Amino acid sequence: MAVRVQFENNNEVGVFSKLTNSYCLVAIGGSENFYSVFEAELADTIPVIHASIAGCRIIGRMTVANKNGLLVPSSTTDTELQHIRNSLPESVKVQRIEERLSALGNVIACNDYVALVHPDLDRDTEEILADTLDVEVFRQTVAGNVLVGSYTALSNRGGIVHPKTSIQDQDELSSLLQVPLVAGTVNRGSDVVAAGLVVNDWCAFCGMDTTSTEISVIESVFKLSKAQPDAITSTMRASLIDTMS
Amino acid sequence: MASSYKSEYIPKSVKVHDLNEFEKLLKGVKVAACMLTDTPHIVDEASVIRRVSALTLGGLSGGDQCSCCGAGPFHTRAQQTAHYKHHWHAHNLKRRLFGKGPLSLVEFNSRQDDNSSVSGSDSEVEDTGSTDLFAAATRHCKAFFSNTAGKVFCVYRCILHHKKVILMVSGGHFAGAVYSGGAIAVHKTLHSYLVRRGQGQAQSTRDQHGNMPKSAGASLRRYNQAQFIQHVQDILTSWTEDLTGCTLILYRASGPLNQSALFGKGSLLSKDDPRVRALPFPTRKPTFKEVQRAHATVANIEVYVPIQKGQKLLGGSMPLYLTSKRLSQQISASLPSYSPGSNRTGFLLDRTPGPSLSKGGQSRFVSHVTYREVKPSLGINTMELFQKALISSTGKPLAKTGVDNSVSDRGGRKSQKSPTKPLNRAKSREPAPRELPTQMVSSEDEGPCFIDSETPVGWIKTLSEQSSKGVITNSRKDLLNDNSVCSAASSDEELDNKNKNQAVTKKKKKKEDTKTTNKKPSQKIPASIKNNQTTLETIIEGWECDVCLEDACNMADPSDGNTALHKAAIAAKPCMVTELLGVGGDPCMRNHHQQTPYAASPHHDTRLAFRMFQASHPDKYNYAKSHIPGPATPQQLEEERERKAQQKRAKRHRDKQKQVEKIRISKFLEMTDAQKANACEIWRCFMCGAHLSKCPYEYGECRFCSTKCLQNHRNLRPLKLSA
Repeated sequence: MAVRVQFENNNEVGVFSKLTNSYCLVAIGGSENFYSVFEAELADTIPVIHASIAGCRIIGRMTVANKNGLLVPSSTTDTELQHIRNSLPESVKVQRIEERLSALGNVIACNDYVALVHPDLDRDTEEILADTLDVEVFRQTVAGNVLVGSYTALSNRGGIVHPKTSIQDQDELSSLLQVPLVAGTVNRGSDVVAAGLVVNDWCAFCGMDTTSTEISVIESVFKLSKAQPDAITSTMRASLIDTMS
Repeated sequence: MASSYKSEYIPKSVKVHDLNEFEKLLKGVKVAACMLTDTPHIVDEASVIRRVSALTLGGLSGGDQCSCCGAGPFHTRAQQTAHYKHHWHAHNLKRRLFGKGPLSLVEFNSRQDDNSSVSGSDSEVEDTGSTDLFAAATRHCKAFFSNTAGKVFCVYRCILHHKKVILMVSGGHFAGAVYSGGAIAVHKTLHSYLVRRGQGQAQSTRDQHGNMPKSAGASLRRYNQAQFIQHVQDILTSWTEDLTGCTLILYRASGPLNQSALFGKGSLLSKDDPRVRALPFPTRKPTFKEVQRAHATVANIEVYVPIQKGQKLLGGSMPLYLTSKRLSQQISASLPSYSPGSNRTGFLLDRTPGPSLSKGGQSRFVSHVTYREVKPSLGINTMELFQKALISSTGKPLAKTGVDNSVSDRGGRKSQKSPTKPLNRAKSREPAPRELPTQMVSSEDEGPCFIDSETPVGWIKTLSEQSSKGVITNSRKDLLNDNSVCSAASSDEELDNKNKNQAVTKKKKKKEDTKTTNKKPSQKIPASIKNNQTTLETIIEGWECDVCLEDACNMADPSDGNTALHKAAIAAKPCMVTELLGVGGDPCMRNHHQQTPYAASPHHDTRLAFRMFQASHPDKYNYAKSHIPGPATPQQLEEERERKAQQKRAKRHRDKQKQVEKIRISKFLEMTDAQKANACEIWRCFMCGAHLSKCPYEYGECRFCSTKCLQNHRNLRPLKLSA
C-alpha cells in the first residue's frame, strides 16, 4: 500500500524519513500528523524512531540503512548515535563512518542484499558498507548521474530509477540488482525518486503531490497491492536461494 | 604541457565593430543540433506492468552485458558480479562520466603497467579543457547556434540590441549607463549611506522587525534612503529620452528596497515593460567599472570549432533542454527581427531550414560584440568537450535561465522555485571538483612504498619516483605500515646506516664509484616518469659535474619544491632524515607550500628525528628558521616517557576509584530509607546516591542533592496526608 504524506508542507518525504524492513526513522520536529501516518502503517510491525543527524532533520539523505544495519555520517553526535542505538532492534548494527561524501543517502542506494554506490566512494566505506549492511556493493551510475542514492528507490521486490534511464541501462541494473526496475517519477514529475519516496517490502510513503498514475506505478513495481510483511521474502529468502541455486 | 595547451585553448576576444566578421557568422544561422532533442520518456502503468511481468516471467534478458565496458554476455552470476567489482569497470565508469569512450581490458591493463598514461599529463589536459567548457555552458544560460560555415557559437540572448541601458542598485549604491553602439552615451554612479555599518542590513529592513531604533544614525539612514530613491528617480527622469529610445534595459536590483528605487512610485520604468530584463548573471557592487564589465560580458559571442567533423556527435541523442518549437518561439521573442528590406546595417540572413527568425517588426542591429574563436585544429576533440559540456548541464535547462529575460517567462518564474531545484543544481555541479579517475587507480594499485636503495642517491631516486607516482602523498596508511616495519627493523638499520655512512664518505673520495651507483638505479626508473624526474636529473648532474653532495641534497624539485629532505620527511623515514641532515640537507629549505621538512613530515617519529639531530648537532644549522620546536635529548625523551606513564597510572587509579564508588552507591541505593538514614558514614542523596557535603534538600529523614531527586522520591512514595 502506498500512502501519501507530507512533512511540514514539504513533499520530499524521503529526505525526512528512512524506511527499512525492520525499523523506520523519522525526523524530529515534524508535525504529529507526519508521525501518525507512519505509525498508523508501521507501528504494529516495526519501531518508528524519531531521530536527527548532526542536529539536522534531513536524516533520509544523510543515512543509509537496511534491515541489517544503519550507517550514519561522521557528523552525527554521540548523543544522537546513542539514542538511535537505544531505539533500534538488537539485531541492527549501527556504524558511524568517515566519508568525504557525507550525504550517504544520496550516494548509496541499497536493499537488504545489494547496494549501488557512487563511483568515487571510498574503498574503506565500501568495505564497512558490505560488512554492516550485509550487501554486495557495486559502483554504478544511474542515467549518467553519480548520485545513485537520490535517483534510485529500491526494495527487495523492485525499484524505481531516474526517468531518463534508458531501457538498456534498466535491464543491466535490474540484472545486477536481481530485482525488476522501471524508470519513473514521484511528486508529479520529480526525478529525484528517492527524495520523494520511501519504501520497504510491504509499504511505501510518497509525497502528497504524487499523482495516481505514479502511485499505481509504485504499487505495481514494488508489488505493494496485497503485500504483508512475510517470512518468505524477509527471513527465508537467503536459505531458499541457497537451496534453489 | 598542460599550461601551453590551455593558453592555446583560451579564445581570443575580437571587437566586432567590423561587422563583416559578424555577418559571416550569421550566414545561415540556425539553432545548433545540440539544442534539439527527442521527446521525453513517458512512463505509463501499462508499460510498467508489461516490463515487470517480462522481467519476472522471462527472466533477465538483455541485461547480461555491461553497457559501460562492453563486457559480457555473462553466463553466471559470479562472472557478472566479478566484472562489476573489477577496477576496469570502475575506471570505465569514470571515463564515461567524463564523456570518454570505454577502454578494453587489454588497453586498461597496459595502461596500468605504463604509468605515463595513468598519471601522465595527457588525460589531465583533456579534463581541464572539459571543465572549462563545462563551466562556460552551465554558468549562464546561452543559446547555441550553428551557421552554414559549420561554426557553433553561443550568445547571451539579450545582446542583439542597438541601444542598451544597464542599471544596478544595491546597498545604497547606484550605477547606470546608457550604451549606444559600443560606446557609452551617458552614465552616472551614486552612493549614499543606507546600510548599517557593522551590522549590515538596510535601515528599513531593520525597522521592519519592530521597535525602530531612534538613534541619530538610524534617522540619518532613513532620511538618506528617501533621498537615495529620489536621486535615482531624478537620474532616471533626466535620462527619459534615452530610456524611451532604448531597446533594452538590463537591471540588477534585488530586494524590495532596491526594486522600489527603480520601479517605485512615479518611476519611468515598469516591470511589465518587455524591454526591462534582469541581468542574466551575478554582478558585484554597483560601480561604473562593474557596469562596463557587465556590458562587455553580455556582448560576448563564443565561437566553437567547425561542425563538419563533429556533426555526428551533435546528433539527436542529446538530453532534453527544449523542444525545438519552444526554442524557436523564444528566439523570435528575444532575438531582434531581421528583415532584408528595412535593414539599416545592411547584412542579410540566409533563410535556411531549422527555426527561422521572424520577419517584420522594427529593425535593430548588432552594436558591439566581442568574438572568440577556438583554433580549428582541435577538431573532434573540442567538439566532444563541447558536447560534454552540454550533456552535463542536463539538470538546468537553458530555457529557464537563458530566456528568463523574456516576458513570457517572467510570469512563471515564481513557480520555478520548486523544492527539487536545489537538488538539481547540486547534481549539475557535482562532477567538477572530482579528482581524475586515473590517479586513484594508480595510487591504489601500487604496493606499500619501500625504499630499497643502498645509498642516499638511491634514496633520492626512489623517493622522487614514488612521489611522482603519487604514492607518498596519497597513501598515508602505507606510510604508517612502512614506518612500523622501519622501526621494527631499526637495529638492522643502524648497522645499515653505518655502512651507508661509509659508502657516502667513499663516494666523496671516489667519483667513479658514484657514477656506477648512479647509473644502476637510473635503469630502474620507468621511461614514463622521465618528464617528472627533474630533481633526480639535477641531482645526478650535480654528482657528475663535481658539485658537492650538500648541493645535491638541497636541490629542490621544480614541480613541488621538495628537497630530498622533504621527501624523506614526507615518506616518514626517520633514519634517512638523520642521514640526510648529517650529509648536509638544510632543514630550513621550504617547498612550494612554504613548509620546511619538519613541518611537512606527517609522522611523529620523523619529527623526533629532526629534534634529536638538533640535540646532537646544535651548531650545524640555523634551526631558528626550520620550525623545529627544540632539541630533544635522550634524557628528555626518557623524562617524557616517564611522565606519560605516570599520567596513565594516575588515570587507572582514578578509574578504579570511580568503580569502587559506583559499587558503594549501588549498595547504598539498595537499602531502605530507614537504613539509609542510619547507615550514613557520609551523607548521600537518597535518590541517586551522590555525595552531599551539606544537606541542601530534606524531608522527613531523607536527604537529596536536588529538587528533582526529591520530587522523584516523593512520587515513588506518596505521602499519607490523611493521618
